[in-house]
Amino acid sequence: MTAIVKISNLDKYFGRLQVLKNISLEIQPREVVCLIGRSGSGKSTLLRCINFLEEPSHGTIEVDGVQVESSGKGKEHRQLIHDVRLKTGMVFQEFNLFPHLSVLDNVIEGPVTVKGMDSNQAIALAEENLDSVGLLFKKDEYPNRLSGGQKQRVAIARALTMQPRVMLFDEPTSALDPELIGEVLNVMKKVAKDGMTMLVVTHEMGFAREVADRVLVMGEGEIIEDANPQDLFNNPKDPRTKALIDRYRIGEQ
Amino acid sequence: MNLFKKDTNENKSQADLLYEAQQRKQSLFRRNVILSWVSLLIFLIFLFSGIEIKSGDGVTSISSWKFQIVTENDREVRKRVEDTLFSLPSGLPGNGLDFKTITVDREFIKENIDFVSGGILQTIRISILAILLATLLALLAALGRLSTNPFIYALSTFYVSLIRGTPLYLQIFFFFLALPQLGIVLTGLWAGVLALGLNYGAYMSETFRAGLGSVGKGQREAAIALGMTPGQTMRRIVLPQALRFAIPPMGNDFISMTKDSALVSATGFVHELMWRAQKVGRAEFRNMEALVMAAIFYWIMTLLLTSVQNQLETRLAKGDR
Repeated sequence: MTAIVKISNLDKYFGRLQVLKNISLEIQPREVVCLIGRSGSGKSTLLRCINFLEEPSHGTIEVDGVQVESSGKGKEHRQLIHDVRLKTGMVFQEFNLFPHLSVLDNVIEGPVTVKGMDSNQAIALAEENLDSVGLLFKKDEYPNRLSGGQKQRVAIARALTMQPRVMLFDEPTSALDPELIGEVLNVMKKVAKDGMTMLVVTHEMGFAREVADRVLVMGEGEIIEDANPQDLFNNPKDPRTKALIDRYRIGEQ
Repeated sequence: MNLFKKDTNENKSQADLLYEAQQRKQSLFRRNVILSWVSLLIFLIFLFSGIEIKSGDGVTSISSWKFQIVTENDREVRKRVEDTLFSLPSGLPGNGLDFKTITVDREFIKENIDFVSGGILQTIRISILAILLATLLALLAALGRLSTNPFIYALSTFYVSLIRGTPLYLQIFFFFLALPQLGIVLTGLWAGVLALGLNYGAYMSETFRAGLGSVGKGQREAAIALGMTPGQTMRRIVLPQALRFAIPPMGNDFISMTKDSALVSATGFVHELMWRAQKVGRAEFRNMEALVMAAIFYWIMTLLLTSVQNQLETRLAKGDR
């Protein structure tokens, strides 16, 4: 099986600070990968490098056969980045719904503007996805009338309506009140069950243990552990992983 | 008792009742604001009514002056038209109350109102042309300010600095009187439109810049992640939100510019409101009447602009609350 996401020798500097150190990673189709680690460990930056919201300093990113070198320049390079963005859907910590557009318009904005999709077709697709996140009845509301959990579910529907090959989640539940986290995680489980390839930066250890096929632990800009959830949670190798898991266990009790 | 009352309103939840109470309170507030406005307006009209109140000998008399004439030897001669409107007995002590409000020459106003109001059209023409020019320049300057090209950035900041650093009055005269030395002769109207447009464009670019700055980074990132180009991101996501933020200060600028169009009268060749008011005012030494007339017309125009601004704000605020 060929990997759908392939990251090779990725470095990222912010000024003189190196936040990603020679990272290589492969994700298989339909795989759900959770990325955990202390804040500042570089996990969000890694995720944002995949769709070039952050420009990698060195290395290669390949998504579904589209290969982009960080050293690339010019029109061709920009076209490759655009292709990668079309193949990835992104969900942000702060939802980032467009406040001036209704829920339905938020969801069809991408397909219509970027892909030039016929608006009837886009609406049908959008309604299908809104239904699957359980928010079709809110399609004419504006985002400010939604709860945080509802906003995030709309954001997931918006990303899905672009029909991406890979979904990137950047701490999707970190800005939510505790009682709203469950509804978003349930939608994410559903997306995973439908066979989407997912890379999820998260602090939700429970979700990682239950849904992930693989858990990556990051520390100081490196992947310090890469294992299936059972092994990782029962038998962490790195002391930093152990500390993370211990803290989660204490929170659970 | 309370519970019983609730039952009669069975269709209304407590939230509905609270909401209604809140609505009542708000409409009461609005009504009182309108009433106060009307009273202030009546007071202003009264100030210019020429009514005289005199009280003495236990009688208060209220009379109205129609107009006053100043003769060559500068002596005020008052012509009393309606001698005494009415007198009423009063408990006030003699010489208790004695005052007279401002008298305007109504005959003069009647004779000249057509001439002065003939300037409204010209004022509107200048304002609209200048507003269009200013909006275009402001948008370009604000976008230039975001540019990573050093020349475009410099051009935008240079323009704003130069124009904001010099008086509007000077700019109008520059276009009207100085440019002919270079062989460029502009009519008073176009000199005025250019100066006003350039001037307000510079100020409004700051308004636009604040509006663009108000749109969070996350909005751009979400658009980019969907695959939008920088142009699409600007047009479809950033500008609509920036505009909503910029509408109230823009309305302010438009109102301010409409009034500053009066400065164009200084060229002497644009027969707009202010020019006409000054002309008739000086000719018959009726400056107060002429200026009051012009003031009323300007005020009505800005009231209309304000209501347009309010409607735009409500329409653009759709996703706001």
